[in-house]
Amino acid sequence: MLNRARGTIVVVPAVAWLAVFFLLPLAFILVVSLGSRDELGRIVLDRLSLDNYRRALDPDYLPTLVNALRYAALATIASLLIGYPIAFWISRYGGHRKILLLLLVMLPFWTSWLIRTYAWMIILRDNGVVNAFLQAVGLTSEPIILLNTDFAVVLGMTYGFLPFAILPIFIAIDRLDHNLVAAARDLYASGRAAFLHVTLPLSMPGVIAAALLVFIPAMGDFVTPDLLGGAQQTTIAKVIQERFLDGRDWPFGSALGFILIAVTMVGTLIALRNVRREVVGE
Amino acid sequence: MTDRHGPTRPDVEAALERYLAEQHISRRELLERISVLGAVVALAPIVAACSSGPASAAPSAALPSAAPTAVPSTAAVATPTPQPTPVPTPESELVVYNWLDYLGEDVIPSFEEKYPVKVKYELFDDIEVAYAKLGQDGSGYDVSFPISVDVPRFREAGTLLKLEQSLLPNLVNLGAQWTDPGYDPGNAYSVPYMWWTTGVAYDTTKVTDTPTSSTALWDERYKGHIAMMDDYRETIGLALIQLGHPANTSDLTQLDAAIALLKQQKPLLRTYSNDTISTMVGGDVWIGMIWGSDLWQINEENENVVYYIPEEGGVRGSDTAAIYSGTKHPVAAHLFLNHLLDAKVSAANTNLIGYMGPNEAAKEFIDASILADPAVNPDKAILDKLEELLDLPNALNDEYLTRWQSLKAGG
Repeated sequence: MLNRARGTIVVVPAVAWLAVFFLLPLAFILVVSLGSRDELGRIVLDRLSLDNYRRALDPDYLPTLVNALRYAALATIASLLIGYPIAFWISRYGGHRKILLLLLVMLPFWTSWLIRTYAWMIILRDNGVVNAFLQAVGLTSEPIILLNTDFAVVLGMTYGFLPFAILPIFIAIDRLDHNLVAAARDLYASGRAAFLHVTLPLSMPGVIAAALLVFIPAMGDFVTPDLLGGAQQTTIAKVIQERFLDGRDWPFGSALGFILIAVTMVGTLIALRNVRREVVGE
Repeated sequence: MTDRHGPTRPDVEAALERYLAEQHISRRELLERISVLGAVVALAPIVAACSSGPASAAPSAALPSAAPTAVPSTAAVATPTPQPTPVPTPESELVVYNWLDYLGEDVIPSFEEKYPVKVKYELFDDIEVAYAKLGQDGSGYDVSFPISVDVPRFREAGTLLKLEQSLLPNLVNLGAQWTDPGYDPGNAYSVPYMWWTTGVAYDTTKVTDTPTSSTALWDERYKGHIAMMDDYRETIGLALIQLGHPANTSDLTQLDAAIALLKQQKPLLRTYSNDTISTMVGGDVWIGMIWGSDLWQINEENENVVYYIPEEGGVRGSDTAAIYSGTKHPVAAHLFLNHLLDAKVSAANTNLIGYMGPNEAAKEFIDASILADPAVNPDKAILDKLEELLDLPNALNDEYLTRWQSLKAGG
């Protein structure tokens, strides 16, 4: 009994945090999305309706949602493909430098996200570092268009969210019982088989966590598509931002935002279910 | 954006618990798995902080524009109890809130010399932040410099004080186009301060002829290196003006024609961006729409960029000076606005900032180099074709924004 009481006390901050910073804003967005606005852009809640959702379901907005999903999915895949080997390497071969290596993974966070994205603009632009190098070594004579492309957006997101992939995978691999791998090898599993049938499945919880930690913020990221993308890379997050700021239409922006949240949640749930089936064989 | 990290956590937890149970994992291993989960939970605030930083900062900065619900509309009539001529005694203090580097050096000292008023001068470098701080009545600031397009909604919300014109004799210095501006008829709540244009800039090393029309932004030769602004009113405004329509048109056929024109152009575009300084400097954009006021910053890094106002005309933007309705120093504030309208003061501002002011009388004191620059001081033929963007009613504004968003979303 005492333990249970203690357990309850321990989760109070987490529950309070979620209630204040997640449920409350979510409820606020939901209520506002049902309202309307007056000529000054003030929110009016006296006649609640689903009108904003009807407007938001306009097929014109669909490509921006598809773009957001596409960029988030590609960034997630790239982060896992790059992050897993790094996490594996740090865990297995990091030795006493593990902490230092993890610190290096986190190091980019010491600089503002916006500044780092601007740095990518300077690297990728026509007069940028990459094009200067390609031309100097004679690979191209004219600049290659890198900035304002799909490639730049996925690159920027992958760069930004990679640490969120590395850390949970690292923890999963690092906490994995080495004896299990050794046992597999004793039973004549090749190194590859031991990895595929022991290490990889056991580190799956870390991979799931990594995928979620990359995918979710990538879905809502509007800085990267806005700065590294171009005329053809508009995402739903940008549409929402424009509705709030330029359109001064909070109710409609909230409806679009709520749809984005719903799509992200559903996507997350589907991903979790599939991965669980794969891991657990449910 | 912070919000979306929440719901995933219980899902991870549930997946883990089921996984552990079905794998018959020991208590010790369970603890280890929990430490994995602990790390995930520990990470979430970092994710949230990182991803929501720039995103959530923007909407909150715009809060006052959407949330001035508490303003009683009667605030608009709270006049400063002006005593008519002779000039009443000003209060001893005045709080002015202005853009960085946006006032001639001698303007405040000369005001303090002329009147027994101590000016407290504060600066901002982001107008949305300034609007947020000014709130619904100025929040202690007496005078600030709202953008003309925002004046109507501030006026409606009772944020601005109705001006006592008898205290502003220098209004006679204004040029003809400024005596009755569309955003504030009769300058009833604001006085014009500085103005600029939106036009076209190009890099002379890439664009070798000398374009004079905005149709150069549709030139196939520059495909992949053309940019328009990421501002629906400005970009649609340019297309409307090119077609010979008013920039604030309420005729949806004209609006559709402008959107069709922009749709043709989209495959040629590199980007829609307001960060024209970095696109023009980076070599990505050879010809693009910019705010004329950004040219000098572009030229600091790329001197080959030149600017023109399209022969079809263009959009003119302007800043105003206004008194906030919560002012405790209305007389001093009026005297200060009148001071800004003084020919020499206005010229001093132009000479520092490099924008033209609305002050006709100021011209004799303005640097010859500024007057000679057609991009800053266009001749009358162009001047007559400049239009200010006006704040549109919600329904019409939605017609613009919805078309713009489907233009940007479409392939």
